[in-house]
Amino acid sequence: MPIVRRSYLSGFAAAGTALLAILSLAGTGCSNNPYPPGESSANTLYRVLSDDPKSLDPAFSYTVDEAYVCDLVYPSFYKYHYLKREPFELELNIGAAEPLREKAMVTVTGADGKTKQVEGERYTFKLRSDLKFQDDPCFPGGKGRQATAADIVYAFKRMADPKVQCPVAPFFSDKVVGWEAYSKGFPESDDAGARKAQYDNEMEGVRVDANDPLTLTVTLSQPYPQMRYLMAMHFTTPQPREAVEKYGDEFARHPVGCGPYYVSEFLPKQRIVMTANPNRFKAFYPTTGAPGDAEKGLLQDAGKELPLAPKVVFNIVKEATSSWNLFQQGYLDAAGVGNTNYQQVVTASGGLSPELAKRGATLNKDAQVNVYYCAFNMQDPTWGGLDEKHKKMRQAVSLAVDSAEYIDLTLQGNGVPAQWVLAPSVFGYDPEYKNPLRQYNIEKAKRLLAEAGYPDGIDPKSGEKLVLNYDNSGITPAGRQQVGILSRMIERTGIKVNSRATRPNVFQDKLLKNQHQFYFYGWFADYPDPENFVFLLYGPNKRPGPNSCNYANPAYDKLFEEMRAMDDGPERQAIIVKMRDIATEDCPWIPVYHSVSLSLAYDWLKNNKAHPIANDYNQYRSVDVAKRTTAQREWNQPNFLPILVIGGLLALGTIPAIGVVKARINRRIRVQDGGDA
Amino acid sequence: MLRYVIRRILYAVPILIGVLLLTFFLFFGTQSPETIARRNLSSRNPKPEQIKQWLDDHGYNKPIGEQLKRSTVDMLAFNFGKSDASQEDIWSRVKQGAGPSGIIGALIFISSVSTALFFAISVAYFRGTYIDSYATAICVLLMSINAVVYVIALQFFMAKLLRYGPVWGYDPDSLGRFVLIPVVVGVMQGLGSEVRLYRTFLLDEINQDYVRTARAKGVPEAMVLLKHVLKNSMIPLITSNVSAIPRLILGGILIESFFGIPGLGTYLVDAITSQDFAIIRAMVFLGTLLYIVGNIMTDVCYALVDPRIRLE
Repeated sequence: MPIVRRSYLSGFAAAGTALLAILSLAGTGCSNNPYPPGESSANTLYRVLSDDPKSLDPAFSYTVDEAYVCDLVYPSFYKYHYLKREPFELELNIGAAEPLREKAMVTVTGADGKTKQVEGERYTFKLRSDLKFQDDPCFPGGKGRQATAADIVYAFKRMADPKVQCPVAPFFSDKVVGWEAYSKGFPESDDAGARKAQYDNEMEGVRVDANDPLTLTVTLSQPYPQMRYLMAMHFTTPQPREAVEKYGDEFARHPVGCGPYYVSEFLPKQRIVMTANPNRFKAFYPTTGAPGDAEKGLLQDAGKELPLAPKVVFNIVKEATSSWNLFQQGYLDAAGVGNTNYQQVVTASGGLSPELAKRGATLNKDAQVNVYYCAFNMQDPTWGGLDEKHKKMRQAVSLAVDSAEYIDLTLQGNGVPAQWVLAPSVFGYDPEYKNPLRQYNIEKAKRLLAEAGYPDGIDPKSGEKLVLNYDNSGITPAGRQQVGILSRMIERTGIKVNSRATRPNVFQDKLLKNQHQFYFYGWFADYPDPENFVFLLYGPNKRPGPNSCNYANPAYDKLFEEMRAMDDGPERQAIIVKMRDIATEDCPWIPVYHSVSLSLAYDWLKNNKAHPIANDYNQYRSVDVAKRTTAQREWNQPNFLPILVIGGLLALGTIPAIGVVKARINRRIRVQDGGDA
Repeated sequence: MLRYVIRRILYAVPILIGVLLLTFFLFFGTQSPETIARRNLSSRNPKPEQIKQWLDDHGYNKPIGEQLKRSTVDMLAFNFGKSDASQEDIWSRVKQGAGPSGIIGALIFISSVSTALFFAISVAYFRGTYIDSYATAICVLLMSINAVVYVIALQFFMAKLLRYGPVWGYDPDSLGRFVLIPVVVGVMQGLGSEVRLYRTFLLDEINQDYVRTARAKGVPEAMVLLKHVLKNSMIPLITSNVSAIPRLILGGILIESFFGIPGLGTYLVDAITSQDFAIIRAMVFLGTLLYIVGNIMTDVCYALVDPRIRLE
C-alpha cells in the first residue's frame, strides 16, 4: 500500500514543480513593457495604427493612417503651420521662396481637335538647395543624393501614369498643359521598357528650368489658386527615380524621401519605426502660434530644430481593446476615444473621468474639416427634380431632421450642427448663418408636404403613405440604430421611411449605378478651400464623380466656375452666399453635422495639438522621458497575490482528494479479495 | 503503407482543386471584380478607366479560363502571386507569418495536451466520486464560455490588472514574456472540452479486460492508469490531435489579433475583411493542404501506434 501513496504524492510533487517552473518563467519575463529594452526610456513617441499601411507610395497613398508615416518621409513644397488655425496657414517647407504666379497664354487642343489660345497661368517653384535624400542602397554608394526640381517633375509624371492610379490625378489632368497627352503616351501593355522610356519624355506643362536645376515651372490651362494646397500634399514631393525603379512594387513598403524621418524598420502587423533622417534639411519649431498657444505651453520649444523626438514608433494594433489597454498602462502616449472606451473616458457631463485626470491625461476635442449629410438622388423620379413639387417634398424632410437631437443620440453631443456644406474654419463659412430649412419644424414640414400634394404624408391617389427609400449600410447594431434614429425623425412628417440596408460595398455600388434614392454620407476635405466642398454639388461632377446626389443647377454651376479660380476675398464670399442660397432652396442635401474628434494624451507628451488637415505633426512633439518612465514603472508592478490565492485554492481542492484516496485504500484493505472497479 | 500514402496524396489533388474552384465561384458569386477594384484604389471616386486599369493590372479582366488556371494550377505550383491590396508577395509574407504562428501554436498545443491529460488522468482516477462530478461541472462551465471571452477576460486580468506580461506585442528575442499570456489563453480555451474528451478515452480503456488483469496482478491503481491505460488511450488521442496540427500553423486567429502576434491568422483575417482575393485564395489553399497532410499523418500515426491497424 505505501506504493500507492508514494506514486500519488510524487505525481503531485511533479505537478507542483511544474507549476513553480511556470511561475518562475513568468517571474523572469515579468515586465509587461512591450518594447525592446531601453527603447521607451528614450525620447521615443509611441503612436498606434489600426492596420498595416496598404501603401506608402506618395503617388498612391491617400488614407490618414498612411499619411502619418508618409508625410514624415516625404516633405512637400509647403506645409501647414503647426499651430495656426482659422484660417489654416501654409508655410514654405522644401520651397525656398513663395512661388511666382503669372498669367500665361497657352495653346490647348479642344475636344474637336482644333487648337485654341486660352488664358491660363504659370507657377514657378524654387526649391531649397540643402535637400538630400536619405541614404539608401538605391543610390550609388548607398549615400543619398541631392533632391532637385527634376524629382518633382518625376512625381508629376508618375501621377500621370495610369498604372500608378494616383487618386488626385483628376485635380491636375484637366489643367496641367500636356497632361492628357503625356498620360496617353504610356503603353497599355505590361511593356516595362516602353513604360520606362515614357518617363524619359517631357510633359509639356511641367519642366525643370533650363538655367536652374532647383526651379520648376508648372503651366496650367486655367487659373487655379488651389495649386498651393496640392503643393502641400505628399503627391508632389520629390521622388527618387532610382528607388521607384529599383524597388518596383516594393516601393510601397520601402519609402525613400528627404523628410525629417526615414522608415528604419517595417515589421508588418507589428510596428513601423521612424528614425530622424541624418540627411534632413534644417527646419525649426514655429515661434508664433494661435492665440492662447503660449499659455498652453505650446511655444516652449519655439525655434528648436526639428524633429524634436529622434524616434517615432507606430504600433500596428488591430483591436481597439488592446490599444486602449496599452494606453492605460502608459505604453502609448495618446489614444483615440471611441466605442471601446467612451464610457470609461468621458463622464456624463462630457468631461474627462477623474481617474484618467489623476493620471495626468487630458481630453481634447477637435473640430474636423468635414461634413456629414443626407442627400437625395436628384435623378430619382420620386424625390429628384428641380420642380416646385419635388423641392417642397425634400424641404419637408429637411425640416424634420433635427441635427441637435441626432448629434446627442448618436455622437453623445460631440458634433456641430451643419447649416450648409462648408465646414467651420473654411473660408466662406458663416457662423451666424442659420439655414431656414435646417431648423427643426415639424408643422412647417407637414405644411410643405401638403402643398406638394401629400397631406399628412399620404398620397391621395392611392391613399397610401409616401415612401422614402433610405439606402444605407447599417448592418451592424450601431449602424441600424443610427438608421432608426434618422428614419423615426423623418416619419414624424407622416411619410414612411423604408430602410434598404446592404453591405458597404453593395451600398457603394448602388451609389455608382444610380440605384440610390436617399442616403447618409460624409466628406473629409483634401484641403481647407471652399472649392473642395462646394464642388460636391457641381453638375459636371455627378456620378461617377464626387457629386453623388447628381445635383445639377446651371445657375449654381456657373457661379462655381467663377468662384473656383478666385482668391479669397469679399467678392468670392458674395458668390459663395449666392451658391448657398440656390442649393438651400433646391435642397438636394440635408447637411447634418461637422464632427468633433475626441482624443486623449498624457501630460508627458509635449506640444500636443491636433491638426485636422496636416498629418506630419509628430515631428513637433516630444516626450518628458523621466515623467513617462516613472509613471510606467509605478503603474506596471506585477501583482502576484491573486495567483497565490488561486494556487492556494487549488491546493485546498486536493484535500478532499486525499480523503478519497485514503478511503479507497482503507476499503481495499478491508475487502482484500473483492473487486473495486 | 507507402502505397497507401501515395494514393492518399493523389486523392488530395482533386480535393484541392475542388476547394479552389469553390472558393473562386463563391467569391465572385458574391461580388463583382469592380467592387474589389474600387475598394483597393485609393481614389475616392475612381473613374471607369481607373477601374479598368486596375482590373487589367490584377488579371481580373482576363478570360475566365485563364483566371481559373490562375486560381487552381498556379496555386498547386505554389505560385501565389501578389496581394490585390498592397502588391506584396504573398509567399514571402506566409513565410514571415509561419514562424510566430508556429511557435505560439506549438506552445499552446503542447501545454494544452499536457495540462488536459494531467487533469483527465486525475479525474479518471477519481471517477465516480464527487470529485469527478465537480470536475464535470467545472469542465462544462469552461466549455460554455465563448472563446472571445477568454481572450478579452484573460488579457484584462493577466495583462492589464495583474501585469504578468505585455498586453500586446511580439519579439522573438524575448519570447517568454510575450507568449505567456497568449499560451494561457489558448490552453484555457480548449481545457474544458479536452479534459472531458481525454477522460472518455481513458475510461473506455479502463473497462477493458487487460486492465482487470493488471489490477488482478496487484498493480496499483495509479500505475494502471499511467502505464497501461494511458498508453492505450494514445490511439484515440493521436487521432484527435494530429489533425489539429494545421491549426498550429494557421494560428489562433483571435489570439493573434488581440495580442498583436504577426502570424498567419492575422494575415488571413485581414485579407478576409479587406476582401483581398489573392491572399484568401492562397490561404484557403494552404489551409486545405495542411488539413489533408494532417489527415494522412493521422492515419500513418494510427498504424504506427496500433499494431492491429494496417494501411493498404
